Amino acid sequence: MNLSLLSAGGVTPAGLGTDAITAPWPVTATHSHGGVPVQAGLIEQKDPSLLRWQQEPRLRRASPITYFMIEAVEQALQGAPHLDRDRTGVVASFFLGCLVYSVRFYRQITEEGRRFASPVLFPETVFNSPLSHVVATLGLGGPVYSQIGDKTCWASSLRTAQCWLANGDCDHVIVLAAEEFDPHEVDALHSGGLLRGGLQPCEGAIALLLGPSASGPTIGAIADGYDFRTRQEVLEAAERCLAEFSPPTPLLDTATGWTRTAAAKIGRSIIGPKATLTEGFTLSAAADTMRALDIVASGQSPEVIVPVWGLTRQVAAYRVTA
Amino acid sequence: MSATPTPQIAITGLGCVTALGGDATSTWEALHTGRSARGPLTAIAVDGCRVTEGAEASLPSWPSWPEKRLRRLSRSTRLALPAVRQALSEARLLDANDRCLLPRLEMSVSTTACGMEKGEEFLRALWSKTRTGQSARVAQYQSQAQTGAIHDLFGFDGPVMTVANACAGGGNAIGHGADLIRSGMTDIVLAGGYEALSELVFAGFDGLQSLAPEACRPFDRGRRGLMLGEGAAFLVLENAGRARARGAKILGYLAGYGQTTDTHHLTRPAPDGAPLERAMRRALEQGRINASQVGYVNAHGTGTPFNDGAEAQAFHRVFGAGQTKLSSTKAALGHTLGAAGAIEAVLCLFALQSGQLPPQINLLDPEPLVATALVGVGEKADLSAAMSVNLGFGGSNAAVLFTRA
Repeated sequence: MNLSLLSAGGVTPAGLGTDAITAPWPVTATHSHGGVPVQAGLIEQKDPSLLRWQQEPRLRRASPITYFMIEAVEQALQGAPHLDRDRTGVVASFFLGCLVYSVRFYRQITEEGRRFASPVLFPETVFNSPLSHVVATLGLGGPVYSQIGDKTCWASSLRTAQCWLANGDCDHVIVLAAEEFDPHEVDALHSGGLLRGGLQPCEGAIALLLGPSASGPTIGAIADGYDFRTRQEVLEAAERCLAEFSPPTPLLDTATGWTRTAAAKIGRSIIGPKATLTEGFTLSAAADTMRALDIVASGQSPEVIVPVWGLTRQVAAYRVTA
Repeated sequence: MSATPTPQIAITGLGCVTALGGDATSTWEALHTGRSARGPLTAIAVDGCRVTEGAEASLPSWPSWPEKRLRRLSRSTRLALPAVRQALSEARLLDANDRCLLPRLEMSVSTTACGMEKGEEFLRALWSKTRTGQSARVAQYQSQAQTGAIHDLFGFDGPVMTVANACAGGGNAIGHGADLIRSGMTDIVLAGGYEALSELVFAGFDGLQSLAPEACRPFDRGRRGLMLGEGAAFLVLENAGRARARGAKILGYLAGYGQTTDTHHLTRPAPDGAPLERAMRRALEQGRINASQVGYVNAHGTGTPFNDGAEAQAFHRVFGAGQTKLSSTKAALGHTLGAAGAIEAVLCLFALQSGQLPPQINLLDPEPLVATALVGVGEKADLSAAMSVNLGFGGSNAAVLFTRA
């Protein structure tokens, strides 16, 4: 089942709108880990386009990631005004999920006591709450999944969309990537060794409205689920994964952080040099899909393979064809 | 050109770990004693909470792994591994060294809290300025650590779809596994869910005053809340043609799956249960089975006023006051959140195989709409089809329909 892009929406450190998806994402803030400055690309949360969602009664107490997501999905829906929303599914992919409220709620538990942590906050910590708000507010009636995992979760979400469309469960699928930043993330990334290689965390949401297609720029075969346990094994995992695709096809430059070393050893031609080190995990993976679609649409290459370097556990890749 | 026939989905292996037993058979047998696993919790800190009891599982031992290595894993991983082993073993997919015979095996998995206690430990250490051991805590918290441990221990890899659709996730994971086979994207899937008790989640439900201060009484008019539990369950789903060709024993079939999203409220279902009713009807439609053919429904039945009221209405409209029997096993096993749908799928398959029905325990004053449907202790039926139903925060609903082999 090939997927074609109908429209898209983006909330990234580069701004709001589809142009902000593939534009370089600037660093907008500096956080400190143990006295070492770490730069991050954050969203301007006072932007009126985001603030308007706080007027929705259901969204008054929602987490920042919810506002990123609903704005991105609304932009994608605006690009397809005649869409049957009842027959549109949504699959969201997260590496970190509702980080801000989860940390805040646990802090309340530890500092104020278990009985005094806010009962209003707790439901908003649940992975699928943001997507539930999106679906309820925008009136989408198809299947709905919130998927989690490392960065390859994005490839898995694309595969879910292929599955739903192949089975006729819906006519279109919005595949959504979203992450929100919390300063504790810097400590977690440092502890996991992910800040090495100059990785700069960022936040936002990207929504791609996809439908089945036999022609035009399409997302085709997905090779998903190639494990590595150590960083030494990532190259071997990538080579197993990429063996699923014919060698002459160039690879999109997608690696960030520590995975760039392994990516540089892959003996294939590389296309579309990555413009920024800013890393939004599933968000960056979604932006890579858009970059690949742009490359084949502009004629730079009739076909490109998009590797997804999972950063912690798996490697995936998929084909994008003109 | 003729359309490709939709493949039949066979279940060739199952396994679970619950607060009533370290495997599927012992869980099933304990359920029929009418016993509840409710008791004081030792795995997590609950002092200061309104309610301090739940359904805690004993962590199964793993003779081939040293205790030191096991202790590094999250509690949820330690619950998941034995359930996977049972399922793969029953499906005859393990060699003598417990290694999977398939180098690649797709997984469709559910959790709501991943390895939450590791995330909690990370934050507590960070706030107390403890630097040692943080790397392992970060790594073991993430969902890919749990699924990765399954890959490492049993020696396979492959695509992993981890769905976090709250308490409906177990049903979604199993339903999605079937969807993958139906679509032709694969022909065998290890599907299931896992969940461990955690301080954050327990305090969250306690703060919402959703926990039962005494026995959990699903579908009782005096119900006062849910009992949190923990566990894991996995099924091997397989294209039936493939299963028969390799001589696998078929334990039952997954005939239908329906999912809907209830947009009424973030944490409360629509009072009339209409979105859940749609999910149940979709599962019946996909399975081409009439409601009257379904002999047993394993309800979500958390024991909260809102859930059970809405669910009773949906059940009544779909199945009427006919022969379909109903029970919620959460009164005995606790609510295992992302694992619930998977555990309850295992129980549906046992019911189909044995004709024994899991009893509705702790019942004093039955909800009138479903009073005649609720299962009594020792009740039996000749079942040809059974359904597992789950609802979750965010309005996720899942209904999975099984038929007898």
